[in-house]
Amino acid sequence: MENFSPLTALIGGAMIGLASALLWIGNGRIAGISGIFGQLLPPARTIVWRLVFLGSMIGAGFLAAILIPGLGVGGPEGEQAQLIGSPLWIATAGLLVGLGTKIGNGCTSGHGVCGLARFSYRSFISVIIFFATAIIMVSTTGIV
Amino acid sequence: MQTTIEQRATSVPYLLTAGLSGTLFGAGLYISQMVDPLKVLRFLDFGAIPVGGWDPSLAFVIVAAIGIMLLINLWTKSWAAPLFDTEFHLPKFKQLDAPLILGAVLFGIGWGMSGICPGPAITLVAFMPENLMIFLGMMFVGSYAGTYVQHWLSTKELAHGHEGS
Repeated sequence: MENFSPLTALIGGAMIGLASALLWIGNGRIAGISGIFGQLLPPARTIVWRLVFLGSMIGAGFLAAILIPGLGVGGPEGEQAQLIGSPLWIATAGLLVGLGTKIGNGCTSGHGVCGLARFSYRSFISVIIFFATAIIMVSTTGIV
Repeated sequence: MQTTIEQRATSVPYLLTAGLSGTLFGAGLYISQMVDPLKVLRFLDFGAIPVGGWDPSLAFVIVAAIGIMLLINLWTKSWAAPLFDTEFHLPKFKQLDAPLILGAVLFGIGWGMSGICPGPAITLVAFMPENLMIFLGMMFVGSYAGTYVQHWLSTKELAHGHEGS
């Protein structure tokens, strides 16, 4: 439990919750990142706000790492974030994340946060399946 | 006055909301350290529980985020529309179906291989770790390929449904 960080986890989680709240109250949109990302090209009819949202995520990560340094990875004073595995492994993982979230209509944010919080049956099933699968993957590959 | 979704979704308050929401989201992913693939993998590593190497931090992220959205959903339950659009955009799917389950399995495999789900994948651009662009590029390809797989699955399902009825 050496890396256990419950306080920053709660604060960060609350910010993600507030972000989802804002997008729902203001724009009536579910803050599901795979959905926002996955509809960046036509025939999607609303693209600008998606680019604004995703660009703000990147900018905020960059700024937060400078303003609140030393939480872990990121920023000039943090450790360099690292992707695990060979380029082929990473490419396969990326492909599966993109494909799976599109077919299954959501990811950790859309199903995991927004879906569970409105008692969506589909989201509940989705979250159980993707968590269980990911846990089994980590156990079988033994990458950590 | 009638407006189109394109007009509403490019109004200043609408875009400001999107920007502020994205800002909170990205900062939250950094502060919680969900941007660290290794930390996410250590959370998913339930095999480490008996030996004391498990990092349960990310459960706190999910609980805090869901807690807030629960309250917001109770509060906005009776609202007819959000502030800057004429309707709430909810998914139209209601039933459990094969795409939902297949998609969750594929996503779970990819997440368990990498420790990266779509939110952190985007936010990590701020820190540019090696090979991130490979992940993001393939995530984009997978997402677009998924549109066709989804279409194919839904037509199969419809045909199957007719047989059954």
